[in-house]
Formats: sequence, structure tokens, C-alpha cells
Amino acid sequence: MIRKLSAVVAVLILLLALPALLSEALLNASVQMLIAALFATSFALLCGQAGMLSFGHAAYFGLGAFATVHAMNAFGGDGLLPTPLLPLAGAAVGLISGLGAGYFSTQRTGTYFAMITLALAELLHALAPHLKGVFGGEAGVSAFRMPAWGIGFGSTTEVYYLVLGWTVLCIALLWGLTLTPFGRLALGLRENAHRLKFLGYNTHALGTFVFALSAGFAGVAGALQALNIEAANYVVLETQVSTAVLLNTFIGGAKVFFGPAIGAAAMSFFGYVSSDLTRSWLLYQGVIFMLVMMYLPRGIVGEIVARLRGEAGPLRPLPLLARAVGIAVASAGFVAAIELLQRFFSTDYKAARQAGGWPPVEFAGHLWAPFAPLTWVVPVGLTLAGLGLVAIVNRREARRQEARA
Amino acid sequence: MEQIVFALLNGVIYGLLLFMVSAGLTLIFGMMGVLNFSHASFYMVGAYLAYTLQPLTGFWAAIVLAPLLVAGLGICVERFVLRRVHAFGHAHELLVTFGLSVVIAEVIKMFYGNFPVDYAVPSGLNFSAFALGGMEYPFYRLFMGGVALVMFAALYLMLTRTRVGIVVRAAIYRPRMVEALGHNVPLVFMSIFGIGAFLAGLAGAIAGAFYTTNPNMALELGVVVFVVVVVGGLGSMEGAMLASIVIGVMNSLAVGVNVSLADVLGRVGLGDWARDTGGVLSLQLSSLAATLPFFLMLLVLLVRPSGLLGEKE
Repeated sequence: MIRKLSAVVAVLILLLALPALLSEALLNASVQMLIAALFATSFALLCGQAGMLSFGHAAYFGLGAFATVHAMNAFGGDGLLPTPLLPLAGAAVGLISGLGAGYFSTQRTGTYFAMITLALAELLHALAPHLKGVFGGEAGVSAFRMPAWGIGFGSTTEVYYLVLGWTVLCIALLWGLTLTPFGRLALGLRENAHRLKFLGYNTHALGTFVFALSAGFAGVAGALQALNIEAANYVVLETQVSTAVLLNTFIGGAKVFFGPAIGAAAMSFFGYVSSDLTRSWLLYQGVIFMLVMMYLPRGIVGEIVARLRGEAGPLRPLPLLARAVGIAVASAGFVAAIELLQRFFSTDYKAARQAGGWPPVEFAGHLWAPFAPLTWVVPVGLTLAGLGLVAIVNRREARRQEARA
Repeated sequence: MEQIVFALLNGVIYGLLLFMVSAGLTLIFGMMGVLNFSHASFYMVGAYLAYTLQPLTGFWAAIVLAPLLVAGLGICVERFVLRRVHAFGHAHELLVTFGLSVVIAEVIKMFYGNFPVDYAVPSGLNFSAFALGGMEYPFYRLFMGGVALVMFAALYLMLTRTRVGIVVRAAIYRPRMVEALGHNVPLVFMSIFGIGAFLAGLAGAIAGAFYTTNPNMALELGVVVFVVVVVGGLGSMEGAMLASIVIGVMNSLAVGVNVSLADVLGRVGLGDWARDTGGVLSLQLSSLAATLPFFLMLLVLLVRPSGLLGEKE
């Protein structure tokens, strides 16, 4: 407990000190990471803790964002609330829409539930462009952060502290929620809803409230996003947003409390770093997600926590290192193959081919010709070598375990 | 009058197409208890493969080869991905197929670009079948409907009239027992997965030429197909058929109706108020056509949560 608390305090101090340490661009990326972390944590309340898999959480994120923009524009631009309190507007709209949507979708469980959430989000996404008054059509709605409480909210640092404050507060509230009887009931909903029903609980009402709370916190995340970019566009209602939060949550590990937040922060950081380098980031994200689902079903953070607790036997550094090397080599090869393919199939390359012939493309400081054997032997060879190493280590480890048993 | 006939015909054919995709989905769900999120991606892959193969092999060979390749892809997915994840539970199976749909969409974008490709109906098939009241009806639509009907007849006969069909139905109902009787149940599951993927791929190869072939087609159709399956009742083949036709007809009829809620309210003297209020009230029904299936789904969930023909949970 002491160790946990001191880790949380250390992270908080680091987060507070970030504006002094980072450049403007990186601080902006940190704001995005915080928002993604809050969104993923709110999502995990629903799908990790209560076991209700939602494919349409972008709806509540987006509604929170739009509510905030409209709240900022209220009273001729003076704002409904002082700027630091504006996320409350997002929270309220998220909560109310979550109550409505939750009432419908929690009528059913499991796969049906997932399909209903997807359909509700798509419904909103299909309606949004037609409702220009609310969603502003193609251009979206923009607003300005007004100074409040003696703070200008003009600089990135001020926005960062605003977002940090709300994120920490909300994640702390969500953490507190897991300790309450209500939080334990949500867990019961995941583990055995039938039994909960027989014990006399109203599982439908319970599910609706979990859904609404999760939507409310997602609304806060949306509100912070709107405050950060001072605008909202119906693009935030798109499936990609729902997809991203789902992938992030499960890559981190939906069943450990900080898994989704860490997963989302890490993935949005990688997204930020790689957006200049590659156009295939979403593909990598999807592949990472599939690999995690297939080989680390508890998620990356979940797996680390389980290992640290010693659930998978004592840690042995050498096989771990060998696996890490294998994975690194294989991913280098895979990334090279994808990047080369992406370049050869891009529209730029088609334009370059107009001049005639098959010009080489530049990647990682070298020129690669499309029909040179080396172009394909190197990436494929690296991938296979890495995977082979991992397979050998796995086989040896399995044999060891068998011998011990 | 002609317009209504045409709209009905279009709707039925679109419904048949929806059924072609949702049939495989329902079959796989009934069998493995998992909704294959990437099923609509098989539809998209079918369209893109047919588009790629068409210049090399011609149209007819392309629409046969593409679904076969998709079936191969489906079998690989079942064998190497789903079977591995099966032990972790249904939620993980749903999630991994969801991840697969993301990966497939991104791979398609990488190879073909994030815009529609010009996969068009071959000129030999691009003629009108008949004319009614001066309007011509494209033959290709009838062709799509015909292919769908032939496929269902074949599937239905296989499931109900052959020995293989008996084993499949028994394996869906009591897999353990069938395995104990000496049948290879994993093989049955794998082939059903392949058949489902084949149907989706065929639908894509044929419909992709008529509608647009773009990287979003999987999601666009996928959401409608999921609605079909929920409205019809998960695992119910007849329900999927009924819901597909209903949604298809509803969609194509709604596109032709320029009525808004304000017009309806105008009948009771609230028209001006509604037009002033704007928002949802003044939207034309035709522009809402894409959202109608979702409203139908919400209605069904309220009135009959297990779907039109689904069994009670």
C-alpha cells in the first residue's frame, strides 16, 4: 500500500513538473495523452469493471465536447460557467445521454449490448451532419477560452494544468468508485449477473447507472478535448474514436485499474511520435492489439502486474531478454516490410512512375528498388529470425516447466 | 406507381444482398457463439480481390476466384486466430475479430489508397432488363438478386437435405456429442467459417461492382448487417432473412419520400412551429434513410428484445 501510494505521488510530482521540462509541442502531446488516459479509464469502468463491451463510446465523448463548446459560446461568448468549471457541462450531457443510451443498451447483455452501442453511436454519427444548429455541419463549432479566476488560459501550460487537474480528479473519483459497494456490484455484474439478480439486485438499473457514469466521465474527457482545441467537429463522433479507445484500453489491460490509462497514454504518445514518420500507424495499432489479444489476454500492464506478483512463477531475466530481442528484431523487420509496401503502393509512387521505370524509394537512409531481392529478403528475413528466436525460447521454457512438473 | 415498384424491387434486392452477408454471420454465431466482427471485412476483401483479379482473369473468373480466396482467408482466421483465443472467452473472440477488421481496413487502405476504386459493372452486363413506364431497370440488379437466391437455395438444401448438413446442424446443437460419435467437429466449424466467408466474399465481389468499392464499405455495411442480425434475432436464419428484406425495402422506400416531421405536424396545425424550431423536426425523411434501421432496431429492442424470430433468452 505504501509502495503504491508513493508511486502515485511520484507520478503526480512528475506530471506537475512537466511544463518546466518539455517543449511546447511535447506539452501539447502530453495534454492529448492525459485526455486519452481519462477517456480510456472511463471506458474501462464500463467494459473492464462491469464487463459490458461498448463499441460506441465516441458518442459520449463527442457529446461532451459539443456541450462544452456550446457552453463556452453561451451568453454571447461569456460562457455558461467560468472556464475551469466548463467540463461540468460535458459531464452533465454525457451523464444524461448515457442514462438514455444505457437504458436501451443494457436491456440486453453480451454481444447484443455491443451491437446496440455500436448502432447508437452510428445513429448519432449519421444524424450529426444534418443537424447544423447543434453540430455545425462540416465546419464544426468553435469557441474561445475566456479568462477566469485571474488566469488567462491562453498558454499551453495553463491549459495543461487545467487538463491535468480534471484528469487527476476524475481518475481519483473513478478509483474511489471501485472501492464503494456500487463499484463492487459493478464487478459482480461482470462476474455473474444472474446471481446478482437472484440476490435481489436490479441489474438493469445497475447496468444503466454504470453506463451513465462511464458516459459522464467520457463527457469530461470530450470537454477537455474541446477546451484544448477550442472547437468541436462531428469527426469526434466517428467510429475511429470509439475504436481507438477500445484498442488502447485492451492493449493496456482492461481489468487492472491503471492499465487503460497507461495504455492510452503510451499509444497516443506513439501515435504522436510516429505521425510524422509513417502513414500506417493505425495498422500497427491494430496489429499490436491483435497480438496482445492473442498472446497477452490480460493486456500489457495486466501481464506486468501479474508477473510482478509472481503469478507466472519467478522472473528469469535471460529468457525474458531473449524474447525481448526476438520481438524487437521481428518488429523491425515487419515495420520495414510495411513501410516499403506502403511506399510502393502510395499515390506519390504512382506519380513518380509516370516518368517511366520503377524508381527506388527511400527508407531508413537507404534506397530500395522494388524488384531487388535484397529489398524483400532483409525485412522478411528479420521478421522470421525474430519470430524464430521467440519460438525457440518459448519451446525451451515449456520443456523446462514440463521437466519441473 | 412505377417508382414504387422499382423502389420495392431495389429494396428486395438490397435486402437479399444484406442477407447474403448476414447469413454467414448468423451461421457462425449459431455455431461458435461469437459474433464475427470482421465478417463485413470479408465482404470488402471480396470486392477488392475481384477488382484486382478482373483485368487478369476476366469478370466471371474473378467473381468465382475472389470468394474462394476470401474463404481461404476465413479458414486461416478461424484456424490460427480464433481457435487460439477461444480459451480466453467470448469477449476476447469478439475483440480479436474487431482488431482484425481494423487491420484489414488499414491493409486495404495501404494497397489501394483511402478513396473509392473504379470497380464497375462489365459492359457486357450493363444493359437494362426491362422498362416500365419509360424507366429502365438495370439487368445487373436482377443478376445480384438471382445470385443471392441461388446461393440460399444451395445453402438451404445442403443444410437440410444432405448428410453433411445433418452433421453441421448437430454440431451446432451439441458439439460434444457429435465429437463423441466420431465426427471431426473442429473441421466442421472451420468449413462453416469458410462457407460464411465465401458468401460474404461473393456478395462483395458482385455488389462491389454495382455500389462503390471503398475502404469504408465494410463498416457501412457491417453496421447495417449487425442491425439486421439483432432485429432478426441472433442465430436465427429465418429472422435474418425477414429483417434483411424489411430493412432493404424500408431503406429504398424512404429515399424517395420527401416528408419531414414538420409536414406531419402541419396536419394538426403545428407546421410553422416545427419549421421554426428546426433541428430534427424539419429534416426530410429521405436524408434520414441511413438512420432508419437504427430506429427500427431500438423499436424492436423495446417491444421484442429477443428479435423478430429469435428465441427467448
